Order: sequence, then C-alpha cells, then structure tokens
Amino acid sequence: MTYNVLLTGVGGEGVLMTSVIVARAANIEGYEVRGTQFHGLAQRGGSIPTQIRFGKKIYSPMIPRAQADLILGLEPIEAARACFYASKERTNFIVDTYPVKPVYLNLLGHIYPSNEEIRRMITPFAKKSIFVDASNICEEKFGNPIYGNVMAIGVALSSGMLPLSKKSVMKSIKETVPGRAIRVNMTAFDMGLKFKG
Amino acid sequence: MSDPDVLGKENKKVVLLGNEAIARGALEAGMGLSACYPGTPSSEVGITLSSVAKKQGFYFEWSTNEKVAFEVCAGASYSGVRSLTALKHFGLNVASDSVFPVVFTGVRGGLVIMVADDPLGHSSAQSEQDTRFYARMGKIPTLEPSNVQEAKDFTKLAFDISEKYEIPVILRTTTLVSHSAGTVKLGKIKKPKTKGKFVKDYDRFYNIRPNLQKMHANLIKKLERIENEYEKLNTVEGNGRIGIITSGVSYQYVKELGNLLGVKIGKLSLTHPISRNFVANFIKNLEKVIVVEELEPIVENFVRGVAKDVNPGVEIHGKDILPRVGEYTPDILLEALSPILNIKKPDFSKHEANLKKIKLPVRKPVFCPGCPHRSTFYAVKKVLGENVVWAGDIGCYVLGIFEPFKMQDFVISMGASMGVTHGIKKVSDQKVVVFIGDSTFFHAGMPGLVNIKTHGTKPLVIIMDNGITAMTGHQPHPGSSFTGMGEKRIPMKIEDIVKSFGIKNVRVVNAFNQKELQSVIREFSKQDELGVIISRGLCTLLMKRMVRAKGGQFSTFEIAPGKSHRVSRLVKEFACPAIIKKGDEVYIKEDMCWGCGVCSQLVEKGVIVPRKRRKK
Repeated sequence: MTYNVLLTGVGGEGVLMTSVIVARAANIEGYEVRGTQFHGLAQRGGSIPTQIRFGKKIYSPMIPRAQADLILGLEPIEAARACFYASKERTNFIVDTYPVKPVYLNLLGHIYPSNEEIRRMITPFAKKSIFVDASNICEEKFGNPIYGNVMAIGVALSSGMLPLSKKSVMKSIKETVPGRAIRVNMTAFDMGLKFKG
Repeated sequence: MSDPDVLGKENKKVVLLGNEAIARGALEAGMGLSACYPGTPSSEVGITLSSVAKKQGFYFEWSTNEKVAFEVCAGASYSGVRSLTALKHFGLNVASDSVFPVVFTGVRGGLVIMVADDPLGHSSAQSEQDTRFYARMGKIPTLEPSNVQEAKDFTKLAFDISEKYEIPVILRTTTLVSHSAGTVKLGKIKKPKTKGKFVKDYDRFYNIRPNLQKMHANLIKKLERIENEYEKLNTVEGNGRIGIITSGVSYQYVKELGNLLGVKIGKLSLTHPISRNFVANFIKNLEKVIVVEELEPIVENFVRGVAKDVNPGVEIHGKDILPRVGEYTPDILLEALSPILNIKKPDFSKHEANLKKIKLPVRKPVFCPGCPHRSTFYAVKKVLGENVVWAGDIGCYVLGIFEPFKMQDFVISMGASMGVTHGIKKVSDQKVVVFIGDSTFFHAGMPGLVNIKTHGTKPLVIIMDNGITAMTGHQPHPGSSFTGMGEKRIPMKIEDIVKSFGIKNVRVVNAFNQKELQSVIREFSKQDELGVIISRGLCTLLMKRMVRAKGGQFSTFEIAPGKSHRVSRLVKEFACPAIIKKGDEVYIKEDMCWGCGVCSQLVEKGVIVPRKRRKK
C-alpha cells in the first residue's frame, strides 16, 4: 500500500508544520516516508503545496498525477489548485473554508470563488469531500486561526481519510509543536476528531 | 525535521529533509568546520549545521559570500580538518574561481562542496544551470544522491573519497532531493576533529609551471583511480534488451513507473568521472538505451561515445524524447517513456478537460505585512515617478518585480545592480536607481559601488538594510549582531563602509517613516552627485519572532469607523496583505497586521489609527 497525502495552503498557515506532523506519525507507525517540501517563498504569501507519501516502499517523493488519496486544503482555492493530483476513483478532500485572499485579487481584478464554486470545481476529482470551517472555529475558540490545521488532521482521522492512529498522531504533535502550544494543539486535534461533517 | 531528529541516535529511523540529512552526514563524518553563504535550495544544510554547531563542538560560519566560504573550508582542509560548504548552483559560480585551483593543489582534510541545482527555478529566478559541467571543467569528482537516505550516506562517503584521494568532492543535489523529505536510518555521529596544522609543501602548493603541469597530470591520474575504485557505487537492476541509465531523483521516477519487465536499470551514483567500464558493460548487449537525466545531455553524450566502441548499433534515446528544460516528474517520464517501454498509459483526456474548467485567481508571493521594502519602494515611486530605470538585485526586494511596484527592471546576479547601472549611466543620460539589500551589498555589491565611485557615474543607490539575510530564512551577515555560532558580535555599519569609499552623500533613513524617506529621496534626486541612501528597518518577520519569543504582543492598526473609503486606494497602491477589501468595505485584518504603521502615514490623520486592545 502507498498512501499519498497532499497538503496545501498559504505561507504562514502552518502547512509545513502540519506536513511534519503527518510525516512523523507515519514514521512512528513504521512506514517508509517520502515527500516534498518547498521552502523559500512560503513566508511571503505564496501557495505552498507539500506532499507526503507513506507505505512499505516508496520511490518518487512526488505524487504522480491523479494518485493522491487525500488532499488536505488549508485554504479553499489552494485545495482546488491541487486537482491535478486528484481523481474521482481515489481522492478524498478535506477543505478548510477559511479564505486567504491573494493580494493580487484587487490589483488584477480577479474574483475569489465562493465555497459553492470551489465545491463544483472539486467534485469531478473527489471521491468524497468534507468542507470544514476549521480555522474560523479555532479563531473563535483560541483567538487564532492557526490551529485549524491540526483540527483538520483530526477530521481526516475521524472520517477515515487518513489511515494513521490517533495515538501516533498525538505523539507526533507532542514532538513537533513547541512545548507551550501542545495543549491547545491537542484540544484542536480533539475538536477535529469529534467533528461531524 | 528538527534538531532532535538530526541529532538522533545511531540506527534510529527518522524523517529528515534532504538538506538536514546532508548536515547529519557531515556530523557522521566528523566534520570540524563548515562555512556557507545561504542560497535556496541549499540553505537548510547551513541552517541545520548552524543550529547544532555549538552543541556538537564544530565551527560554523555564514561567510560574506560563497567564494569566501569555500576558501575558509579550503584553509581548514589544508590544515587537516574536514570541512563542508553548501551552496546553490549560482553560489558555485561565485566560488568557482577558487575551487578550480584547490582541485589542483589537492586537500588534506576531506573537503565537500554541496551544490544544489534548481531545475524549474523553484527558488532561483535567473537561469537554469547544470552543475555537472563544473565537475568536468574543474575535474571534480561528483556524487549524486537520489533520495534522502543517500543524501546522508553520500555526504559521509564524499568526505572519505575526498580525504583518500586528496581532492575536493562535489555532492550534487537538485531541489527534489534537497527539499524532499524521507525516512533515514541514522549512522553514528563522530566526534569532530576541529584542530589542525598547516604544513608547508612546495610540491603541493606552488602551482606555477612547470610544477603546474605535474599537478595537472597527477590530477588526471587521481580521477582515473577514482573512476575505477568507485565504479562499484553504480548499480544495475533487472534484465532485458532495453536499458535505462539514470541518476539522482530521476532514478526514483523511473522506479515509480512500476515493475518493468525486460528492462534493465543502471543507476549512476558517481556522475563524474562516469565509469566507462560500467557503461560499456551495461550497454553492450542492449537493443535500446534511454538516458534519463534532468537538464543537459551530459550522461547521454558520454553513452553515445562509449556506444561507438562497444555497441554501435544500439538505439539511444535521451533529449530526443525528454525535455532539456525544467524539472522532471513521474508524469513527464511516463509520457515520454511509455511508447518505448510498452507501458499502458492512463487516459487523462477527461481529467485534462476537467482541469481546464478550474479557473482560480493567481497567488504570487508578496512582501510580508510590515515589510520595510514595501515602504521603501512606495516612497521611491511616489517621489521619482515612472520614468526611471530600476536596477534590481537578489533578495526579498526582488518581489518588487510584481505589481503594484514593478521596480526591478533587471535582476542578474548578486551585486550586479551596481556594475550594470554604471554601464547604463556611461552610455545614457537616464536616471537609474539601484536597489540592493544589506547582505547582497556585503556579498558582492561593495566592489561594484567602489567601481561606480572610482569611475564617476552618479546613480542613486538605495541600500535596503533589513539587518539580516531574509529571503533564505534569516542568516546573519556582517551587519547583523550575531554569528552563525549564535554568539553576539558588534555589527559593521554599512554607512561607515560607504563613507570610507569617499562617497559624501550618504544618509541613513528609517524605512518605516514615509515623510523622512520621501524627503531624503527628493533631496538626493535633485543633486548631481552619487548618493547612497540606506533605508533601514528590521525584517518584520524576524522582529515578529523576536517579540513572540519573549511573549510580547504587537500593537496593530485599524481603520476608523466610516473612513473605509479613504483607504481603498491603498489596496492597489500599497498592496499590504493585511489591508483587505470586502465588497466596498476596506478593513485591516488584525492577525495579519504587524503594526508597522506605514499605511497610517499615507492617509489623512485619524483614518488609520492604533487598534484599541480588547480584552478577551
């Protein structure tokens, strides 16, 4: 079995940290892990897709076309941008509906699509998709939308879209996030586990 | 993916980034010194080494540029200490002037030059470049890892080869090795040897003819011996009449094609010198051979040469079916190789049609909220208008190439803004403004500015001093107050350096003060003299981290009730990600505003005001 996860979002949303949490959890479970992480422009508001593949034996760090099992989009349009890697036969989507609107929207006169439009774009590529207002929920609960990513991992687990155990993800969170943030991340993860879509 | 993993125990399996694995490999090799200049996709090697240097007891520095960094490593290596420099491909251009002679003299302690190429230019705007040519021009043995485990193992091996044959060794990666993550089984960390002694040696170091020719002949012999001894690093899998020769991450893409019956795969780990014997044995009974390598047809041309002698009838494919431009992916390989390998390719026509229906707004990288560069570009444009040549350089400010500024008319290489500007000024009467960052000024901007002063042209030079090498993730430079070892130091002042060149018109301004910025730019632009403005403001990302680390908070700004319409022009003109337009309303997003306050200076008083703290 090879399981392909594509995590995407915008620099500053914690995409890299989320991908580290997933990669570490897979490592804890004894899988071989490969993936891509593009550094460099992340902090400057660019889109930042990272890929994690885990299984018994993995070769390419990059997911081949249409072979993603899970696309975890921490930002709606970035989730839709990842459809190259998705297919109806194979791919589940979890989309955080919290938009980070590109600055160029106003400069270039582009229009940001509604959630309904995003859903329409994704549908031909999705086995199943869950839209969750994770960042907003976390902003209300913790005063910071950043924890939305860990909540989204919780949703991925409880919906069966990410075949990793709760135990290894919790261990991974503990190893990954800074000490002072462990508790709030655990709470966010738990909120994701309990999420009913 | 952090210090505990990089420093993990022997035999532990951890997930590391390719560059972190290279740093670990250096620790396992007992490296005693590392000197680097940051350049993505190589930066995390230095970042990782810097973060563990003190604890592990070796020396690390961020040198002023790649040439100096390499020379520092050469000095350590001449004195018997193992050393490593990590550069991006353009960094090797800078260092090459010193690299070639050091290959001639040879080294004592192992010396590894890690070079990260960046096909597709994920983080390199200026050109696509293939480092393997340097390996040939400079006669430098080159190892190419194909994944993260090999990145670590080959680093250690590179030290051993270097020391055994007394020659610098290149460890060449590409972005998809350096910035890929993977499971790594760790080896044992070796206590670093950090002290050595330079021993004089006429035969080794006196690279003047006729000794030079002796050294050259000796070097060629070394390469032959290396070619023979390390042929064993190359591997063969499978059997058949069709062969694929590949290396680096391309090997992983070939394997991703699945179980290929009747196909033999040859993987080159030592890509310079390529083992002639290995290639000859591999191709001699083949009907077809496909060479899979990103960028230039270097291995392909080598294979064609060998084929003439051992199997002239073999059908050779390479750049006739695969691109020479950009980066490979599993999908590009599938597309190109499936007709020859008889692989059934999935039908993506419907997939393609559905993808075409997705129309999304672009997301280009932008200056962070609170970035001092945005403020400087805004002020310069406000005062000088559009009819100016904007000389660009390498750093975060290169983002000024995008809307709404479009103020980087050319971007060549580190420090090149100065020289190119001087040339333009010598042949044209146009107004030219140079934009150069602090780290770039130290790196290669200084000689260019000295040249401008010496030969008397009068551009306006704006040094955008944010206190740090920001784009690659905050490495210190001579103007920063700490070192690569994390120790405090007294920073050099750019204004003192510039004045010491004999330049009279030098002014330091606060990058976050529009009034001051605009008035000094106006004053300088009226003078018929070379002027240097140092627009100083700490990188806000760094400032933010420092404040947060201390548990502090930011004062942020908000738009006063009912004043939204007075801010709407800033959405287009200033393009701060924190200033958001929703319908006709404009607001400042609290969690994105870092409180630089520049926007409040661009509208009438009382329109944008400090946000009142609400109790939660």
